[in-house]
Amino acid sequence: MKAIALYSIKGGVGKTAAAVNLAYLSSRFFPPTLLCDLDPQGASSYYFRISASKKYNSGKFLKGNKKIYSNIKATDFDNLDLLPSDFSYRNLDIELAEEKNPQRKLKKNIEELSNDYQLLFFDSPPNLTLLSESLFAASDIILVPLIPTTLSIRTFMQLKDFFDANKLNSSKIRPFFSMVEKQKKLHRDIINEFRNTPGFLTQTIPYNSEVEKMGLYRAPINAVQPNCPASKAYLHLWEEVTKLTELQG
Amino acid sequence: MRTIPETVYFRTKSTLSPETLAQQILPAGWILTLLSSTKEQQAFYDTFEWHAFEKGVAVQKKERILFLIDINSGQKSASVSFQGNPLSFFSETLPDSLLQTKLCSLSNIRAFSRLCLLNTLTTSYRLLDQNSKTVAIIAVESIQLTGHERYQEEIHLLALTPFKGYEEDTTPIHQSLSSLEAVHSVLNFRELFLLVMKCAKQRVQGYSAKFLTKLHPDATIHESALLLLEHTFSVMLLNKNGIKKNIDSEFLHDYRVALRRTRSIMKLLMGIFNERENQYFLNLFRTLGKRTNDLRDRDVYLLRKKSYCNSLPPNLQPSLIPFFEHIAESRKVFHRRLSRYLSSSDYQVSLNEWEGFLNQQTLPDVERTHQGSRSTKSVALETIKRAWKKLLRRGRQISRETTDTELHALRIDCKKLRYLLEFFASIFQPDAIIPVIRQLKELQENLGAFVDASVQIHFLHQQLELIHSDTLFAASMGGLMVTLFQKKEEARLKFNKTFTSFDHEETSQLFHDLLTGSSL
Repeated sequence: MKAIALYSIKGGVGKTAAAVNLAYLSSRFFPPTLLCDLDPQGASSYYFRISASKKYNSGKFLKGNKKIYSNIKATDFDNLDLLPSDFSYRNLDIELAEEKNPQRKLKKNIEELSNDYQLLFFDSPPNLTLLSESLFAASDIILVPLIPTTLSIRTFMQLKDFFDANKLNSSKIRPFFSMVEKQKKLHRDIINEFRNTPGFLTQTIPYNSEVEKMGLYRAPINAVQPNCPASKAYLHLWEEVTKLTELQG
Repeated sequence: MRTIPETVYFRTKSTLSPETLAQQILPAGWILTLLSSTKEQQAFYDTFEWHAFEKGVAVQKKERILFLIDINSGQKSASVSFQGNPLSFFSETLPDSLLQTKLCSLSNIRAFSRLCLLNTLTTSYRLLDQNSKTVAIIAVESIQLTGHERYQEEIHLLALTPFKGYEEDTTPIHQSLSSLEAVHSVLNFRELFLLVMKCAKQRVQGYSAKFLTKLHPDATIHESALLLLEHTFSVMLLNKNGIKKNIDSEFLHDYRVALRRTRSIMKLLMGIFNERENQYFLNLFRTLGKRTNDLRDRDVYLLRKKSYCNSLPPNLQPSLIPFFEHIAESRKVFHRRLSRYLSSSDYQVSLNEWEGFLNQQTLPDVERTHQGSRSTKSVALETIKRAWKKLLRRGRQISRETTDTELHALRIDCKKLRYLLEFFASIFQPDAIIPVIRQLKELQENLGAFVDASVQIHFLHQQLELIHSDTLFAASMGGLMVTLFQKKEEARLKFNKTFTSFDHEETSQLFHDLLTGSSL
């Protein structure tokens, strides 16, 4: 099983939209797939109309394997399951700090899932905390959506610096441009500047009102509007990701 | 481990409409939305010996896919695309897949035959909760078996499959469905499978090649021998159609084993039946057995095709193609010939005579059949002891310089003892008879390997004599004969060790325990 995190220090960059659509595409091509919603806001869970059971909370998540299994729910799409987030996840960092070897905790907790899923996607909360560190260790690839703005680039550099300072494997970090508005010169300039930077994915995700409508459809855009520009872009991004994860061939 | 919720089947008196369901079982705010409506033919497959069912697996063809389904949970464990609903197929012919590997492990020699063909009409609905989240699929299904005019009644079902994580949410639906007046039973997948098989008039696990006739130690040997012969007769009858329909080679194999066992019973238990009748039927079955030899020989060589090819270098392998084509062609001729005979009135007359003989209820004249009234136990002990001692005596005479003929003869002695042990197995304690059979089996396998290699060398040499000009073919035959000769000599060398192990104190003790009657 490969684990792919959708991660950004900054919020509102299109993490959840990418996680939901990439997980959906993964379930079509490399079933079965699990999407693990780590964000206490629970946007991924909301998009799939799923809420965690009343008994589920961050404590159970930290217990791992069996507790995780019993709380996984099927989405409306074949071979795509979801581990919903709970509002108690807002305290995950504090609880994680009390665990032994917190940086490796997430990796350990998902070990058993590898028997059942080919791919696992994490939709992560926007911050840089102990949970983020645990997420970095558990993920084979860290996809970082970047809006082509200076602020977004700055947070990306902060992430790189953090990896370097903590001697983490920065080759896992694979940024891609998201919510791109080609009519904006700034967007065009920044994309051109970073286009050939090693590690950057070539596919960009356009700003598209259909993506915003996912909140109305409450389903992946690739499932309901597969021909819209954003869906096509996610499909191409997915193809690029499969090459990274050595799933092709 | 990721679990998928089980489907529960509600057998209903008639097809339930979505309106009825909405009115009678759905909580407020929940709705059903149409997912699909399909009309198709489905089929179930298994081998004649129910290899799949024995391992808890159902083989189902639906939606142009062949599925392996865990019979107890109803979970699909493997699938592969599959066209049509053929009468039978071999696992080897399926595309490379997990399903193929799993089916081959169940059996690659036996064909998977169609058990039944079902016309199904399925309308599936999504069950949406108050958040419009799908929590289950409800399928309303009508099943009708084709080709069973007598069974006109359709099976009406409602299948409830909760989505993972929504089992608890759908429990009230399950309860409401169970209490509906229109529902007369709640089934799991296994129960549904058995219901369909019953409607299709299939006896699940109704055939086994194993010899399982239960005898009573105090019954007369005449009575027991008739039971054994009735069993072998039923095996012959059950396999006849499979031979004629050319489903797989095991039908003929089992038929021949039943014939051999029939002859063995009559030969090994001399003095039980009227001698004249005994001889008449022995001759009849010997002739019948001979009629099957040519076809069986071809079957055996065709089954060896892969191993023959693999034992030759790649550049010689193509020369075997015409060889096997020739065998396949001649097999067709022999198959037609045997099938014609099995459909003939001559064969039917023989069967009727035999059936009439088996149905004779009275003991024949005691003067002439002095053994018939003895107890099964005493005859079993005596005949097994005699056959065992004979095997030891003959085996001890065999040296490194022994001839092929002597080893052939010893193999037959082995087989006779094995048959006796199998015939009377049910009157002994399993823990006494099983180790004895195991010891004997090892010796039989060794002798079997020797004789098989010897017979093959002879056959290949005959082929060589038929074709003089093809040097590549000659080289292939030479290569195969060398390999077989090595196997034969290996078996010969191994014989002394295997026989010494059989002719050992430990084995003697096992036989002693068996024959002193303490294990009865």
